[in-house]
Amino acid sequence: MQTDKDIFNLIKETYPQEPREEFVESTSNKLKQRARKLNRKKKIKRFPIVSASIAICTLALSWFFFYGETNLFTSYLTSLGREEKPQSIVNHQDPLVFIYHSHNTESFFSEAKTDDSNQAFHEDRNISLVGERLRQSLLNKGVNSILDKTDIMGILEEKGLPFSQSYTISRDPLNAALEKNQSIKMVFDIHRDSAKRIDTTVTLNGKDYPRTAFVVSQSSDFFEENLEFAELLHSKIEEKYPTLSRGVLIKADTSKQNTYNQDLIEQSVLIEIGGVGNTLEEEYRTVDILAEVIEDILRNEPY
Amino acid sequence: MPDQENLEQMIHQLYNRHYLEVYRFLICFSGNQNDAEDLTQEVFMRVLNNSSTIPSLINVKTWIFSIAKHVAVDHYRKKRFSSLFTDGFFKQFRSLEKEPNEIVEQNELKKLVHTAISRLKPHYRAVVILRGINEFSIKETSFILQCSESKVKVDYHRAIKELRKKLDMKSVEVIENANG
Repeated sequence: MQTDKDIFNLIKETYPQEPREEFVESTSNKLKQRARKLNRKKKIKRFPIVSASIAICTLALSWFFFYGETNLFTSYLTSLGREEKPQSIVNHQDPLVFIYHSHNTESFFSEAKTDDSNQAFHEDRNISLVGERLRQSLLNKGVNSILDKTDIMGILEEKGLPFSQSYTISRDPLNAALEKNQSIKMVFDIHRDSAKRIDTTVTLNGKDYPRTAFVVSQSSDFFEENLEFAELLHSKIEEKYPTLSRGVLIKADTSKQNTYNQDLIEQSVLIEIGGVGNTLEEEYRTVDILAEVIEDILRNEPY
Repeated sequence: MPDQENLEQMIHQLYNRHYLEVYRFLICFSGNQNDAEDLTQEVFMRVLNNSSTIPSLINVKTWIFSIAKHVAVDHYRKKRFSSLFTDGFFKQFRSLEKEPNEIVEQNELKKLVHTAISRLKPHYRAVVILRGINEFSIKETSFILQCSESKVKVDYHRAIKELRKKLDMKSVEVIENANG
């Protein structure tokens, strides 16, 4: 009857030879997401092994130093130790943290020279100085971070967009940074609250500290992960400095509008550090504590 | 592990290059578009999960297909007891915009082909599709199916013979039915 080729053509005609376009696209996206997740997991898995091997190396080294075994063996071990130089997650050259400000001109009464919270905005003396302090403070602890200084409010004004669009504008630089730096593990959008000073301040050991509040959006695809991360930060602060953190606020946004860009990465949170009535000097105190906690999590938590 | 950083890029590239071929293998194997799409996704998920064991870039296509074959056979085993004539396959023709007569004729032929292929045992089916549709060489096919080249040759001829017999026999039946 037919040649082999006829049979194959018959088979080809029998079945649709192209998958649906939606399928092709959605699978491609699923794979990318999974790849990202795998990437992170792998890096984290490597961490404990490396740190364990360093610990063993140092132990062995000190043993030989103290008990004075043959020089040859010591020097061999030294060189071995040097070769396996730690690739610890902290002290990593690549940025691990991304800091940005969707409301970058948010300022303070003391800086904006006003006592109206609707006027407390400033072009330079604003919340981005708090972000800069966080970057510095993290750097001092060996954690590299990226501080995004995009003038979101400027762009909004230029394009004639409403204030509510600020998260859409701030999404672009965040997205670009995440794509370029696979090493980023945590993302913080830092704000200051507009609440009264009395609500945003706490006195610990005779000093005033602005209180932190963590905000997560229920419309984020990573809501559960975001929440878990926010709760971890809150509890770590609570442990060391009780009452400093006001807790985690969940924005149940039914309109599905504001994800606060938390759908881009699991460990992403919006932080309110203090309020409009706090001063920069106070803000820096709390930021330093926040940096401590971030470093602590990066170092210890096998998340 | 040099590829770790570029995992995302790598899977993107592999997927774009090979999804169509993999899908074609699976649609011919399973006979149902929904299944074929699900299985295609499964194949690339497995590729991603096992990306650390990718042999070399020259063999990557045959490697992906060896995964596809496993996925297809696993699926076949799960589905073995459910009838091959579940509505899934035939429903997909209903929406075609053609004259009713044409549909009937075409569908008769398609039913025939589908029945013939789905009655082949999975190994024969895989050989026929890999050689005939995906146009792999005998050597490549033997790598994918993890058997010798001579087994590929022998099985291919037996499978084609069986397929031809089924198609011929069935087409005679159809004609007879039509006459009667």
